Amino acid sequence: MIVHRGKTIEEVIELLAKYKDSKIIAGGTDVILDIKDNKIFPEALIDISSIEELKGIELKGDFIEIGAGTTFTEIAEDEIFEKNLHGLKKACKLIGSPQIRNRGTVGGNIVNGSPAADSIPPLLCLESTLIFESLEGIRKVKLEDYLKSKYRIKEHELLTKIRFKNPEGLLNFIKLAIRKALAISRMSIATLIELDEEEKVKDIKVASGSLGRYPMRELEVEEFLLGTILGEYTVDEAVNILQNAMEKRLKGRPTLPYKKRAVKSLLKEALNQRIRSSRRVIS
Amino acid sequence: MKRIGRGIGLSFYGTGYGNGFPDVSRAKVRLLKDGNVGIYVGGTEVGQGARTIFYQIGSETLKLSSDNISFITEDTSLMPDSGTAAASRQTYNTGNAIKIACENFMDRLREVAKRELKLNSTQGLKVNNGKIYLEFFPRKVISFKELAQKQKGNVIEAEGEFVAQTVEMDSETGQGAPYWPYTFNACGVELEVDVLTGKVEILKTRFAQDVGRAINPHLIEGQMDGGFAMALGYVLFEDLNINEGRIKNQKFSKYLIPTAMDMIDLENVIVEDPESTAPFGAKGVGEPVMIPIAPAILNAIYDAVGVRITELPATPEKLIEAIEDSKEGRVVKHG
Repeated sequence: MIVHRGKTIEEVIELLAKYKDSKIIAGGTDVILDIKDNKIFPEALIDISSIEELKGIELKGDFIEIGAGTTFTEIAEDEIFEKNLHGLKKACKLIGSPQIRNRGTVGGNIVNGSPAADSIPPLLCLESTLIFESLEGIRKVKLEDYLKSKYRIKEHELLTKIRFKNPEGLLNFIKLAIRKALAISRMSIATLIELDEEEKVKDIKVASGSLGRYPMRELEVEEFLLGTILGEYTVDEAVNILQNAMEKRLKGRPTLPYKKRAVKSLLKEALNQRIRSSRRVIS
Repeated sequence: MKRIGRGIGLSFYGTGYGNGFPDVSRAKVRLLKDGNVGIYVGGTEVGQGARTIFYQIGSETLKLSSDNISFITEDTSLMPDSGTAAASRQTYNTGNAIKIACENFMDRLREVAKRELKLNSTQGLKVNNGKIYLEFFPRKVISFKELAQKQKGNVIEAEGEFVAQTVEMDSETGQGAPYWPYTFNACGVELEVDVLTGKVEILKTRFAQDVGRAINPHLIEGQMDGGFAMALGYVLFEDLNINEGRIKNQKFSKYLIPTAMDMIDLENVIVEDPESTAPFGAKGVGEPVMIPIAPAILNAIYDAVGVRITELPATPEKLIEAIEDSKEGRVVKHG
């Protein structure tokens, strides 16, 4: 196996075109395990961990761009995620252990494609766009569409950025895992909620992890909650709607009865926010 | 929706091999050329703190700073056998052997000192702080170092052996007194059960451990914390997931043990009631510290949500299934 350390995006996409059977390595927290377990046998490993242009978080007008090579620690420590975007910070902080968070990257989390990937549900709520680069040019795809397999990363592509509009609402994330650290999510829920003057739901996004083959938006729940006041009845009804959706999706799975019951706790907690939009003041 | 419950677990545990099985520990003590004392013992340090305890017992018996004691352990060519580091027996059994060997060694020192100091008898000779002297006429003194230098080629050493008293049980009735001594403990746990997710969170623990005599309270607390953490994994997380004879959770990413974040600060209580046959009264606690934790946690779960879990681990899924069955009035054993 050949290992190349790329210095620029340009160099990497050329290498990707050159080696048909290659694998990109950033933090290596998933790839290394796959190699050790003999799950993959790439001809070449292309190391992107020292490419500066793939790192960092940038505010561009109303938009926020996260470089695909940004680590979970870097996201969790960036003050841009202190206020209304706290849900993304929380999701990144609950991944693995400090060592894994120092190595693992948000781009890797997305392209590795685990249904339990913790950074994805909050990014789904933010209606993120993924930006891929290759010799053929730039390809933009909505994260939501990307997850539906057809638009997945191609062999010669590099995920360079994740981009989303800085929202008015408040982002929240709740994870259920067996233990408090170093544990893969059994399931997770992210919500992005904006309330109007009368405390009614002006805008809402709900996304789940490990409730299907990939993380996904829970559109029926969103539709139901839009325009309501988040009281006991509406929240209970939202839980019912989500449980019914799960029933269809996970039919026959032995984990369904447990997940159906436990999701109630997660969704309730995720919706339990009376705090009005507190969008970060951008100077 | 969370419910709080409290439970206690009690245990008593016979340390040593027991049941009539020969349980022998030996140690050897020698005056080294530089005047320091070497203690040769087969007791193995496996992280439980045996070496520290052995130093303390040797130092206390010899009335000598541990700086002047060398421990030579874990090499069968150099030392007598002290049995296994198992059955929570090293403090009590090997501790006794070291104490006896040190006492025999001090008798040897007095005899050699009697000769060197040209005395009639060993009566009134004290061994303290690396010196042997006549208590009522302290000018009659010789240090370990001087003694060592004068013994050209003659080694001053002594051995000690401790044979534990164990009685075989009646094979017909199973009755008898198979162990001595016993160690006792009690653990009280307060916890919270999330009745939707089945997650258990330990809130508070008070753990009382009888030790005979605490030779090293810090090490005992370490054992208590460790026993609790190990039991916490045993009760809530650790699952081999055996399917048709194959272990499915064959790595630590699947076979979960608690992390530091799952552990809580324990309120540990050390109970001292010296055991007359033990070295300075101290008994073993290595295994006992794990035993009462599982019943305490399971009793607290029962107190919180009214279900009895009879197979470990008490995973969130198992707990939820048990809670749902109990609501429907089904009597199902969960396990």
